[in-house]
Amino acid sequence: MSRLGHAATRALLGGSAVAIVTAIFNQLHADFAIVSFIYLLTIVLQSLAGDFLSAMLVSFAAVVCLDFFFLDPLYTFAVARSVDVAALFSFLTTALIITQLVLRARTEAQSADLERERLDQLYRLSQQLLAVKPEAIGTSTFLEHYLGTFGSTAICLFDGEAATLHIAGSSTRGLPDRTRDAYLSGRNVEDPDSGICIRCLQVSGRITGAIGFENLQNPQVTGGSLATLTATLLERRRVLREAATATAAAQAEVYRSAILDALAHEFKTPLATVSAAAGGLVEAGSLNIEQLDLVEMIESEMARLGALASRLLRMARLEREEVKPRMEIVELATILEHVVDQQRQRYPDRSFSLSAPARELEVSADPELLRLALNQVVENACKYSCAGSAVKIQVEEESGSVAIRVSNTGSSIPAVDERRIFERFYRGAVSNHLVPGSGLGLFVARKIAAAHGGGLDLEAREQPDSDVTFRFTLPAGRKVEVDHAVTTN
Amino acid sequence: MLSQPTSVLVVDDEFSLRKALRKSLNASGFDVEEARNGEEAVGAVRQRSFDLVLLDMNMPGVGGVEACRKIRGLAPQTGIVMVTVRDAENDKVDALEAGADDYVTKPFRLRELMARLRAVLRRTHGHEATQVSVLTAGDLEIDLERHLLKRAGQPVHLAPKEFELLAFMMQNQGVPLTHARLLRSVWGPEYGSELEYLRSYVKMLRKKIENDSAKPEYILTEPWVGYRFRNPSDPDAPPLPADEE
Repeated sequence: MSRLGHAATRALLGGSAVAIVTAIFNQLHADFAIVSFIYLLTIVLQSLAGDFLSAMLVSFAAVVCLDFFFLDPLYTFAVARSVDVAALFSFLTTALIITQLVLRARTEAQSADLERERLDQLYRLSQQLLAVKPEAIGTSTFLEHYLGTFGSTAICLFDGEAATLHIAGSSTRGLPDRTRDAYLSGRNVEDPDSGICIRCLQVSGRITGAIGFENLQNPQVTGGSLATLTATLLERRRVLREAATATAAAQAEVYRSAILDALAHEFKTPLATVSAAAGGLVEAGSLNIEQLDLVEMIESEMARLGALASRLLRMARLEREEVKPRMEIVELATILEHVVDQQRQRYPDRSFSLSAPARELEVSADPELLRLALNQVVENACKYSCAGSAVKIQVEEESGSVAIRVSNTGSSIPAVDERRIFERFYRGAVSNHLVPGSGLGLFVARKIAAAHGGGLDLEAREQPDSDVTFRFTLPAGRKVEVDHAVTTN
Repeated sequence: MLSQPTSVLVVDDEFSLRKALRKSLNASGFDVEEARNGEEAVGAVRQRSFDLVLLDMNMPGVGGVEACRKIRGLAPQTGIVMVTVRDAENDKVDALEAGADDYVTKPFRLRELMARLRAVLRRTHGHEATQVSVLTAGDLEIDLERHLLKRAGQPVHLAPKEFELLAFMMQNQGVPLTHARLLRSVWGPEYGSELEYLRSYVKMLRKKIENDSAKPEYILTEPWVGYRFRNPSDPDAPPLPADEE
């Protein structure tokens, strides 16, 4: 009603302006051309101030006045010449087009203003939110910032990751439940009748939560921006949290391996002293056979402890530092035979079998690192299987790579441990009590495999009690060209 | 045995290890002096000459490698054996490049240490006497002048570079030889990093002189460092790698 009222008022004002122009220029006996320009001017002013309806009414009034007062025959609505009809028609068309253009320019300027204002508001909001320290962002705090922006009276956030619902303001139309439902169904809600707008929060295609607004102005436009802002904030907080946890974990690991390192160092000097002193007893002479036996025992146990410490030290170093293999062409079977020999000595009660396609199978690898890694994998199979188990090592050539499969019977890895056994310092709950180890072996072995461009994985088992198989892969070696190059040298 | 007791300078920052080594080496007939760190060691070498220096690699102050370089500069004829606590191969290479003759890793058996010391001593002190033209090791016999190698009395054909490499190794038997040193000595001073060359030659040599080239008894691999020629007939020959290197 009021809109019509406004239009009527403006039309009246415009009509009066036309009347005044008509009165003045009628007195002056001005000709058609001049008067029509003056009318056009009036219509432009009218369009700048009013709406299309009033401008149109004024345009028609002007045409009527032009015809009645300024076209022959004067003071009648008749038109003498057909040219005049054309003139009147073109006047009306021009007037209407001008009206239209002016009005369009006006609405565009207005919506640009609105847009700017909305952007300003969003910008202020995001600035406020980004200024808050991420660790201090409680979900409810930033919802408070939203409240009142764009007229919203209640805001609800469902955080999908934590599965928690946060609300600011008071909802009268069941916003919390509808927000949760929107998250669960993954669908946005646009309900102009109840003034509710709910948007799912998406981060790289993944739905992380949902945010709902009650009485949000212009929800089609602002809803999306606010949802994006919220998703960004939540993601930022999540990433920072993750980074903080990762830093703490990395630090703990650095300390741990530094301690291992220091321990191994500190350990070895006293061992050397004991060993040297025991050797001195022998050198001093005058020991009988039993005493010599005892000294030998001291020395060999010291050597064993020393080897253990060395191993720990090497593992700690490989764990901490980047593994830089020094590649050469090595015969895989030779290395594996060596590894099996060593493990056979250590675990005489396991039965070993090694099957390789050809002795000449060559790979490009750092022989020391490869030996260390394979030793670790085979030892792992021995360590975690019971006496009498069979340890099988099979080498298979695959397209572009060589796979070494190490499997053992008589042990299983609980499903909970399967995913974690390659983590550094991780030790299965059972092994923690039963088998000595640092929890570095498989981690380091995998690191070595990766440094060679290969990998180390636990093969999926058909049944929980079937054999445990580790698969160590290496890129297939190129054929040795060096030999020829050198022999012709 | 030697007419005069062999003098050894034991350098370690750990008192009890110095003491254990002094007593044990004394018992074996060595004349032992002690130094607590690199500076003291260099000072001691300035004052008198030693046959051998047993030098700890990881000491506060002037580190072992630096001390080794200085001692080598002051006393070219002294045998230097480094004692390392880590298996860090870079340390070993650094020590050898700084002039050390050999190294042992803590903890070591006294027997093993003395074998190393004797091997180094023989090499450094017998330097003038090694101008012999025929060297033997196990069932190998190499005639340096006539460029001949016999294995168990049978001639073995070697390419010229193979011969030079084996000859150099046999002349320096018992001590570790870094890759770079072998390459420089056999191929020339401009060489040093062509490991593939060296490895393929060693591979071929092993096929010709070892019983089982996968388990060598003569040319032993010093992991990441280089090679060591082992003379099986030498009572001080290093043990064959059995377990965990």
